[in-house]
Amino acid sequence: MIRFTNVSKTYPSGTEALRDVNLEIQDGEFVFIVGASGAGKSTLIKMLLREEVPSSGSIEINGYRVNKLRRRQIPMFRRSLGVVFQDFRLIPNMNVYDNVAFALRVTNVSTRDIRRRVPYILSLVGLAAKAKSMPEQLSGGEQQRVALARALVNNPKLIIADEPTGNIDPELSFEIVDLLNEINKCGTTVLMVTHEHDLVAQFNRRVITIEKGHIVADDLDWRPQQ
Amino acid sequence: MRGSSFGYLVKEGSRNIWTNRMMSIASVGVLVACMLLIGTAVLFSINLNQVMGYMEDQNEMVAFIDDDASAAAIKKIDAALGEISNIGSMTYVSREQAIEEYKKIMGDSGTLLDGLEEDEVFPNSYRIQVDDLSRLEETVEDVESITGIMKVNAPTDVAQTITSVKQIVYVAGTGIVGILVAVSLLIIANTIKITVFNRRREINIMKYVGATDTFIRLPFLVEGTLLGLISAVIAYLALWGGYTYVLNWLEENQSIALVSFTQNFLPFSSVTKDLLLGFVLGGVGIGGFGSMIFVRRYLKV
Repeated sequence: MIRFTNVSKTYPSGTEALRDVNLEIQDGEFVFIVGASGAGKSTLIKMLLREEVPSSGSIEINGYRVNKLRRRQIPMFRRSLGVVFQDFRLIPNMNVYDNVAFALRVTNVSTRDIRRRVPYILSLVGLAAKAKSMPEQLSGGEQQRVALARALVNNPKLIIADEPTGNIDPELSFEIVDLLNEINKCGTTVLMVTHEHDLVAQFNRRVITIEKGHIVADDLDWRPQQ
Repeated sequence: MRGSSFGYLVKEGSRNIWTNRMMSIASVGVLVACMLLIGTAVLFSINLNQVMGYMEDQNEMVAFIDDDASAAAIKKIDAALGEISNIGSMTYVSREQAIEEYKKIMGDSGTLLDGLEEDEVFPNSYRIQVDDLSRLEETVEDVESITGIMKVNAPTDVAQTITSVKQIVYVAGTGIVGILVAVSLLIIANTIKITVFNRRREINIMKYVGATDTFIRLPFLVEGTLLGLISAVIAYLALWGGYTYVLNWLEENQSIALVSFTQNFLPFSSVTKDLLLGFVLGGVGIGGFGSMIFVRRYLKV
């Protein structure tokens, strides 16, 4: 569960990125967060990842009181969530398998578990056949699926996707969101930031709209009005 | 941390060297070059000091004793000389010995001196070597003030030259080595910075998937340490080979003028341990800790 209580964020430069945000997302939900650039989406994501702490208010994610976390506790907190970025952030000199296994290797998972878990996740995102390929040999959509596999591989309760379709051909974007949708059906909470309204409209999900640091809309059905 | 993780970290560190081999070669190259420069400068200045020390030893002053000094008076002079602190060693040379030596020096013409033994042409004398050449003049005065000493011959001009040259050698040597060390540190720091910068993406991902700071840093430490060690060994072997080659060349192409210098060059074996220790400590220290420090910047996510 994610809970933001009266969260505000003002950067040292004086920019007020978020103003008094209250938000609650239950386990197993699928939520889109939409808003123009500069609306505060990025700040929201940074707080979810504990890259930034709020200037005031409190944040609770997966039972962690994020704004109170000590530096040493951050890694454990981050292991409870998976992140997908717009620019994939794959390691260019590692093949698909190693890119996914990397997330497990650096978090103390045994080799035996890695051998069992990685192929399963790769088949889940439909890339079992490309395990040996290098990232540069894959299309954007495939690269994002590798990133998604990496986010999923340690079985997180929450997936945060920051504009995951931003660098992908529109016809493949649907595929990615659909995959997130399937993952959500298995019980994982999914939080996807996007500004592609067309895409959001194709899925009947909760949509939170941010504008100038405020939540201006929080609707369940957000299909275009006829 | 479990056993398999430790194995992973060491494996990862060594694997990184291969994966980033261009950068590894560059780092080793820079380290080796720096070590070679410093090593050469150190060897050069050690040897120059050695030669200067030899030249210092060659300097002796001669104190002539009054012709009418009795055996008892000479004993007194002996005791008085013994009290002067700067005197390292001295030998008494009787007039008979002095003549014999001159005959030897003159070779065939030595016969010219035959019969002069009785005539007291050469006075009795002391040959004196000083400990500290820079205090030669002072010592000469001390010796001259002893009653029974007729005259002191001392190469004070040469002594002054040698003393000042020695000082210049010392200051310049230390300065050059110091500058080289400073420049090396800058270059190495920059190389490590680039290496870490090249991998910021990896570090960044590790942070997001929840790797601990220690876990992120250790492979860099392993890598830096290994590269430092490799560089130290390469630099050491290269310097060993080069130095031995130069010494052999000098021995084969000895010129009379330089023989007294080259004889005083140190064999490599006498500096082996210190040099290797210095290289290894320097390489491992800089490699290991340098990487740790520069990784820190990317840990703040």
